[in-house]
Amino acid sequence: MGRVRVHAPQDLVAGASLLAVSLFALWAASPLDAGRLSTPGPGLLPRVLAVMLGGVGVWLIVLSLFRPGESLGRWPVRGPLFIALSVVAFALTIRTPGLVVAGPASILVAGAASPETRWRELAIFAVAVTAGCVALFRTLLHLPIPILVIPGWVVL
Amino acid sequence: MSTLVSNLELGFSVAFTFHNLGLCFLGCLVGTLIGVLPGIGPIATITMLLPVTFGLPPVGALIMLAGIYYGAQYGGSTTAILVNIPGEVTSVVTTIDGHQMAKQGRAGAALGIAALGSFFAGCVATLMIAGLAVPLTRVALLFGPSEYAALMTAGLAFAVVLARGSILKSIAMVLLGLLLSTVGQDLETGVDRMTFGVASLSDGIDFAVLAMGLFGFAEVMRNLTVDQARDVVHAKIGRLLPSKAELRQSAGPVVRGTLLGAILGILPGNGAVLGPFASYALEKKIARDPRRFGRGAIEGVAGPESANNAGAQTSFIPLLTLGIPPNAVMALMVGAMTIHGIVPGPLVMTRNPGLFWGVIASMWLGNLMLLVINLPLIGAWVRLLKVPYRLMYPAIVIVCCVGIYSVNNLPEDVLLTAVVALFGYAATKVGFESAPLLLGFVLGRLLEENLRRAMAISRGDLAIFIHRPVSAWLLFTGLVVLVVAVLPSIRTRREQVFVEE
Amino acid sequence: MRQTLFVLAVVLAVPLEGRAAYPERPITLIVPFAAGGPTDVVARIVGESMSRTLGQQLVVENVVGAGGTMASTKAAQAAPDGYTLIMGHMGTHGAAPAVYPDLKYDPAKSFQPIGMAAGTPILIVAKKSFPAKDLKEFVAYVKKNSEKLNEAHAGVGSVSFTTCAFFNSLIGAKPTRVVYRGTGPALNDLVSGQVDYMCDQIVNLVPQIQAGTIKAYGVALPQRSPALPDVPTTKEGGLPEFQVSAWNAIFAPKGTPPEVVKKLSDALTKALADENTRKRLLDLGADLSDKAAQTPEGLAKLVDSEVARWKKVLASASKDAPPPAK
Repeated sequence: MGRVRVHAPQDLVAGASLLAVSLFALWAASPLDAGRLSTPGPGLLPRVLAVMLGGVGVWLIVLSLFRPGESLGRWPVRGPLFIALSVVAFALTIRTPGLVVAGPASILVAGAASPETRWRELAIFAVAVTAGCVALFRTLLHLPIPILVIPGWVVL
Repeated sequence: MSTLVSNLELGFSVAFTFHNLGLCFLGCLVGTLIGVLPGIGPIATITMLLPVTFGLPPVGALIMLAGIYYGAQYGGSTTAILVNIPGEVTSVVTTIDGHQMAKQGRAGAALGIAALGSFFAGCVATLMIAGLAVPLTRVALLFGPSEYAALMTAGLAFAVVLARGSILKSIAMVLLGLLLSTVGQDLETGVDRMTFGVASLSDGIDFAVLAMGLFGFAEVMRNLTVDQARDVVHAKIGRLLPSKAELRQSAGPVVRGTLLGAILGILPGNGAVLGPFASYALEKKIARDPRRFGRGAIEGVAGPESANNAGAQTSFIPLLTLGIPPNAVMALMVGAMTIHGIVPGPLVMTRNPGLFWGVIASMWLGNLMLLVINLPLIGAWVRLLKVPYRLMYPAIVIVCCVGIYSVNNLPEDVLLTAVVALFGYAATKVGFESAPLLLGFVLGRLLEENLRRAMAISRGDLAIFIHRPVSAWLLFTGLVVLVVAVLPSIRTRREQVFVEE
Repeated sequence: MRQTLFVLAVVLAVPLEGRAAYPERPITLIVPFAAGGPTDVVARIVGESMSRTLGQQLVVENVVGAGGTMASTKAAQAAPDGYTLIMGHMGTHGAAPAVYPDLKYDPAKSFQPIGMAAGTPILIVAKKSFPAKDLKEFVAYVKKNSEKLNEAHAGVGSVSFTTCAFFNSLIGAKPTRVVYRGTGPALNDLVSGQVDYMCDQIVNLVPQIQAGTIKAYGVALPQRSPALPDVPTTKEGGLPEFQVSAWNAIFAPKGTPPEVVKKLSDALTKALADENTRKRLLDLGADLSDKAAQTPEGLAKLVDSEVARWKKVLASASKDAPPPAK
């Protein structure tokens, strides 16, 4: 048998990741009692679904070896990375320093995701948008979003 | 017939006071606003504004709260079309073709047909409520757990039709969505499923987290990787309203969507969720050129939007006639009514006709107001699209972050969304689509709970699904939809193979 | 000199506990359930009245999840300064230790009781076509046919779950317990006849009973409820042991200063004596008769007795429950 050629790399990765998720789910659901189809327990549906998902994954892998499909293409890292970091920045700063810091922080980090960002413009924009958010979510909608929280001193 | 007219007269006389009109307007305005803002939904807003309504008479309070509810449906479509973020569960389908239309410079037409279709649906739904409320409730009472389980299974078949690309990958996404919906505390036994000890997951993964992650952040990530020399969304304003041709194309879908949404909305237990999906599936199947769907077909916006609004209105029926809330928002209305001293129940119609018919009349007025509010705004929204993307995307990020945080006030939710977003980005890179996943997620809970409930009641007898006529029919319909959806692609593949030979 | 001024400024700026009059800012009243439910409604009615006495707004915050235990855990861990309170109830501060083995709080030790707000009596209701004329026949029928019957409840740890567990164990019934996500869907299936019976709070059921869509067999109170004068008590119906009330009470975190506790307790007593508030609560079917528990000490006693009682009841109920299928 000659070298196995992967005709559809995208499908291969897709199938492999589905298989990985399905195995992970099976492991996560293992402490649950599955019961039987006529008396379903909490673990039945997760397990059935995980198996089906794994099945589709395997089928995709098999198909990828025979059917032509798309190649993986480029996977730029900068954009996704900084967007994710900006969301994390928000999560870390929203409770304690509050929106006043979380807003500009996440906007500025997000700015790093694009090569087109003009920093001074973005900084001014950050302040404006944060002020807008305060007006909208806090003042208008009365949502309990922490605006400025310095423990022991200020709770806004 | 004459009683219907006299009832409506009573209703309009109640709704048309200056006071109540003002409250209706306020409710619609607030509703539209929160619908547009991703993450924040009607439940949070109504809860927040409940104390404000204490000073108001009960009819006025209800009118305002109802306005918030269906106003949010309108607003949710706006973000779905403009920035591909579904504000509500029911706007997920609108993102598929609506956002494509926006990218092609036809945002105005998409927003316009959404508003017009929703208005038509609202009028029809109001008439249905006024005339058919009681008989419709009787239909709703026919639906037990086995019928719901069958309905949801049939609904999953729609997922296959939703697929733009590979059907196999769509099926995988639906399965993954179903799997994700099982995370959380099991309703029957109380054990935590797959939560890994994380307390905030005990109630399950929030829809907002998935929607924001997969549609909001992941979309931004995707857009940033495209060559940004051109603006991602076509800056050309284009026409602000649908053209005559587009209106003609949309007429059928609007009517069909309204009927589908109205009927599904009556079913207690959130049947309204299925409306837009069913409408999209129907339109795609009966269209002359189904390949247009997923690439900006206006029927893909007109139908689901009408279904979505019709469902929102008719979901008031179980509340008004039985006093039993069909979903969480209606449960809030029950609370609001109770706090104001009106106990909702089957006797409200006879004991409080002014309230009953007044709310119904105000629903129609609310729809009119929403049209009046939203149509002129289309120009403003479309102009908003001209903002350079390098500024727009950070704004999207921050508004989404605040939106998610506002759901439970938990930073963990925001972190989870970031993780989901990364997975979502990777998933689209290998050819998966997000809409089927959300459909699976939304239907998963309803499907599993009702399946297990039906099994409990039938004492493990699987044949119950076939013995009960309604559920048997629903399963059969689902099977038909599935076969009809999968068959063409098998045929084309066979043709492809033949061509290659 | 500048340093002294700076230190002075810092000292004056730091808020000093206990010096200022309580309350100086709005107080958060956590409700462990969704807005619109019975506990939420009681909290809002009583809270509104207390706000007037205290001069500061009592803001209701709904924290939903895990049968109310998420909210209770949050409240137990809050600062004991009187600005975070919780409207706990029979479930969160009575039955929870028996239902949730990994409970992260102790109803007695983690909280400072303020006082009971109102109780919502429990009703035994059944579908319209249930073949029994009164409570005696109902009990007899259920005892004989329990394996064929379906009993609805709103989820593990909910009021309908624990009270019907009690009922079932009292009469030795072993029905199939069908779970719903909340009282609304459960009631819906009861009305349509998919399930046979349910035990739930009166507030949710009054309209359906008055309209005749479901049947009420007994109310678990010593005397009839004014909201439903035609429904006999369980004592009249021959089951006097079934006395249960879904009580709702206000708690503060343990360690709240005694002056604050007294102020809150006084405000609560005043609210419950107010004509308007009483009327609104009674119209809902709530029960305001347990005056003893309206004081901090009385409530503490109630909590202890409830925790013990539910531990016993649910332990014996789970022994009778059908074993999970393997």
